Amino acid sequence: MSETLAFLSPDQASPEAVWRSPLERALAHAPAEITDVSLTGKLDVRGDVASLKTRALEIVRITPERALVLCDFTRTAEVRGKLEERFHVVDLSGTLAGLQVRGETVMRRLTDLDLRALPAVGNVAHVQAYVLRDDAETFRLFFPQEYGHYLAEVVADAVEGERQ
Amino acid sequence: MFTFRGKRVKAFEGDTLGSALYAAGQRVFSRSFKYHRPRGLLCCSGSCPNCMMTVDGVPNVRVCAEPVRAGASVEPQNVRGSLEHDLLAVTDKMGGPFTPVGFYYRTMIRPRRAWPLYEKFLRSVAGLGRIDPHAERSRRYDTEHRHADVLVVGGGPAGQEAAARHAAAGSHVVVVEEDPYREVTPGDFELVRGRALGIWEGGLVPVDGGNVLYRYRADRIVVATGAVEQPLVFPGNDLVGVMLPQAVHRLVEQWSIKPGERAVVVTTDENGREATASLRRAGVEVAGVYDLRRERIREIVGHGRKGVLRSVELDGRKIDCDLLVMSGGRQPAYSLLSQAGARIEYAPESALFVPTEIPEGVEAVGAVTGDGISAAAPAATYNGASGKGKCFVCVCEDVTDKDLKRAIAEGFDSIELAKRYTTVTMGPCQGRLCHVPSIRVYARENETDPGSIGTTTARPPWGPVTLGLLAGRPHEPAQRTSIHHRHKELGGHMMWTGTWRRPHSYGDVEAEVQAVHGAVGMIDVSTLGKLIVSGPDAAEFLERLYPNRFGDMKPGRIRYGVLNTDSGRIMDDGTIARLSEDTYYVTTTSTGAGAVVEWFEWWNAVWGYDVQISDVTGGLAAVNVAGPRARDLLGRVTDLDVSNEGVSYLDARQGQIAGVPCLVLRIGFVGELGYELHFPSPYGEYMWDTLLETGEDLGIRPFGLEPQRVLRLEKMHILVGQDTDSESNVIEANMAWIAKLDKDDFVGKWALEHVQARGMREQLVGFEMEDGRVPPEGGQVVIKERTPVGRITSARWSPELRKVIGMAWVPAELAHDGAEFFVTMNGGFDKAHVRLQPFFDPDGERLRS
Repeated sequence: MSETLAFLSPDQASPEAVWRSPLERALAHAPAEITDVSLTGKLDVRGDVASLKTRALEIVRITPERALVLCDFTRTAEVRGKLEERFHVVDLSGTLAGLQVRGETVMRRLTDLDLRALPAVGNVAHVQAYVLRDDAETFRLFFPQEYGHYLAEVVADAVEGERQ
Repeated sequence: MFTFRGKRVKAFEGDTLGSALYAAGQRVFSRSFKYHRPRGLLCCSGSCPNCMMTVDGVPNVRVCAEPVRAGASVEPQNVRGSLEHDLLAVTDKMGGPFTPVGFYYRTMIRPRRAWPLYEKFLRSVAGLGRIDPHAERSRRYDTEHRHADVLVVGGGPAGQEAAARHAAAGSHVVVVEEDPYREVTPGDFELVRGRALGIWEGGLVPVDGGNVLYRYRADRIVVATGAVEQPLVFPGNDLVGVMLPQAVHRLVEQWSIKPGERAVVVTTDENGREATASLRRAGVEVAGVYDLRRERIREIVGHGRKGVLRSVELDGRKIDCDLLVMSGGRQPAYSLLSQAGARIEYAPESALFVPTEIPEGVEAVGAVTGDGISAAAPAATYNGASGKGKCFVCVCEDVTDKDLKRAIAEGFDSIELAKRYTTVTMGPCQGRLCHVPSIRVYARENETDPGSIGTTTARPPWGPVTLGLLAGRPHEPAQRTSIHHRHKELGGHMMWTGTWRRPHSYGDVEAEVQAVHGAVGMIDVSTLGKLIVSGPDAAEFLERLYPNRFGDMKPGRIRYGVLNTDSGRIMDDGTIARLSEDTYYVTTTSTGAGAVVEWFEWWNAVWGYDVQISDVTGGLAAVNVAGPRARDLLGRVTDLDVSNEGVSYLDARQGQIAGVPCLVLRIGFVGELGYELHFPSPYGEYMWDTLLETGEDLGIRPFGLEPQRVLRLEKMHILVGQDTDSESNVIEANMAWIAKLDKDDFVGKWALEHVQARGMREQLVGFEMEDGRVPPEGGQVVIKERTPVGRITSARWSPELRKVIGMAWVPAELAHDGAEFFVTMNGGFDKAHVRLQPFFDPDGERLRS
């Protein structure tokens, strides 16, 4: 693992350090349709990512030379180490917050992205986000964590509004 | 059951508020826009403005098409008094000569000093309905993005047929139908009840679905909007009891309501016959049916009492009646097609305006094409004879044929100009009922045919839409640091800086300043922009971007940098730490991060260096721990050697602080021994709490933005955007040392050389006020002759120095220690003395200690 950028990796903290999600407070009373998935390993990988072919990792391909690799948070160091052998890697685990939401209609009210053509990067309630589709009704969003509280509130509000 | 003016009204399932009111005997539904004439149901299909009321506080609801809701509270609007006795009806009786179109430009101009009075009155009577500007949102509106292979606008027979055809071909078809009561046979398509508001490029069709605006993107659009019944223009054509055939059809066939007792039917097309049949079925006595295609009637006049129809006079023959059904023919509702780019042409044989040259990706089907519309007798729809009362061309805006004639006489002879002048077609019906009649009046008065007059440009929306729906759900993105909630819990007064939320202070600015000077303070600086610049060419890349040097830095060292634009103006500033041979960590101002990232990426693309740029602004929390006890505090939570030798001034070190991986930058923005800790955001609160607890006995105190501004001013550290503007350069901003003009090249070099050659014009300097009053930022710097020569950019009271200090742009000749100038303050002048060295710790001994 690159020592130079160790301070970017939340998984390098000792166990007594308390990890806290930016969505935590906004989702304290949120509807069941929303799940906080911020505690995920997220790696910005650059290089010949087209050649990166593995079923063991979730790869969100942005361009042939750029991808967002997602993994279990506890595996971040291991995955990062492996990828660094071949690629330029920046750990975005703390940079991006993650949120899973159920409901296609809710998503339609938050983004003008074509939901048939995911994953994609685009605006979700004015915030640039990676948007992934897990199944017909389940979506995952990864976006700058500083917008976490705002976006969690907006998504919870949209779920609420869709019920009315 | 709902209430109308506080009285209960019974309704049946399937009723609209309007049909229930009509069944309950209500005939006057509104007062007109300008003359406050009584108005009743005219089209009964949501097109005209006659039935607009305020429902549950929402103004301008067309009650004829608004389904009943139990408990709704319905109130009339545009009324001073009651619907039956409206005080402003006086404008109808007497206002005629004084209130022609555009009267507010002429009759109420003199005397000029009375204008405020006129204005107040005009404002109070202008517009329809009232809104409370302080009210909460009355209901929730959302915007929803949808997609359709084929979007069919209009669910009539032609629309349904087209939908079935496209569905059979395997397309995903959506049918939009604006009439909530139209029966649409279910088929292999999705039915959406709502009104298509327009067609924009890219197949965008917003549909008003009530509380949700559906923004459809369609690959193909089928317009099946049908045709709209047109009224006749004659004196008294707006009396309560004058209706279009559609209204009769609805009242009788849909709601089983007898529309009147005794009716006369005047028609120019087939529609009259159908209406007559409906009337007879409902038991209405039909006193006469006059088909103007066969009979020539020169003069039609409606007579009424208190605005309600009592009789109709046909060429002098008076017939008592309480209902007059008029039909001026049907006109294709081509607006959406026209918006999509179709051409609108006049077809003389059918006397209709029909769409032609339908653009690719759009289809027109059914009556909107003009097919199947029985030819009307357009000449008969307006006989030019007023003089026996007002002939309304436009009931929305109360425009009469006389207004149009006057406009023509005044030279507004083009229909587009006349539209803007008279506002005909600009009311709530959006021209549905007045566009064709106005063209007919124009044709007649100009002695030409409607085809030569032409149509006006059709613009969205094709129907009235609430502003709330267009605004949608408010989304105001706010950036919060991972320590945000702690600031609030500690009593921080949160403020906006750009889109960030930051604490101004925690309530006691002076105490917070003194904590930094006397003990230790800490401030959340997570908002700083943060970039990783790495790769073999990283050093060369930064050398070329910044005016100073970065290639000769040793790993583990930090340098201050100012970014210049091509024209040598100051763009942003921050610190650059070299982490390894080919990796740099760059910080930017809080609000400049986005622009700097773009700037870096732009130049990297231009120069083609082997450099990777990563924006990690949000990924890292940052806390600046500063004050004489900062080292003691840090030593308690890390194994890192934080002695002055271990981490010297402008050193960058990595290590665990409180168990969290950290980049420690020893810098001194606030003038005391200080460490900026950069670490993964998720540990923001944990780190903050740990430092506060650990430093309690050291006198630690969090400080906000305002104390930070005082502290940095004591050091004369500039704030880009506060002390500099888009014209400032580093040489005149007193940072000439930063511009290494002997470097090969850097962005802005040529411009700075030019500044160097032309010499200093003005300079950014510090100043002290002589008598201790704080001048306003942006205040004028003046010299003896009271000539303004510069401006104050920052000024604060420094509790540490016990004086008022600041920074200002002054002419170069004033830029020497002790020079005097004056500052305009409340009309007077206060004396100030120029200072070129930092006010506090000028030699940086405390910084380096």
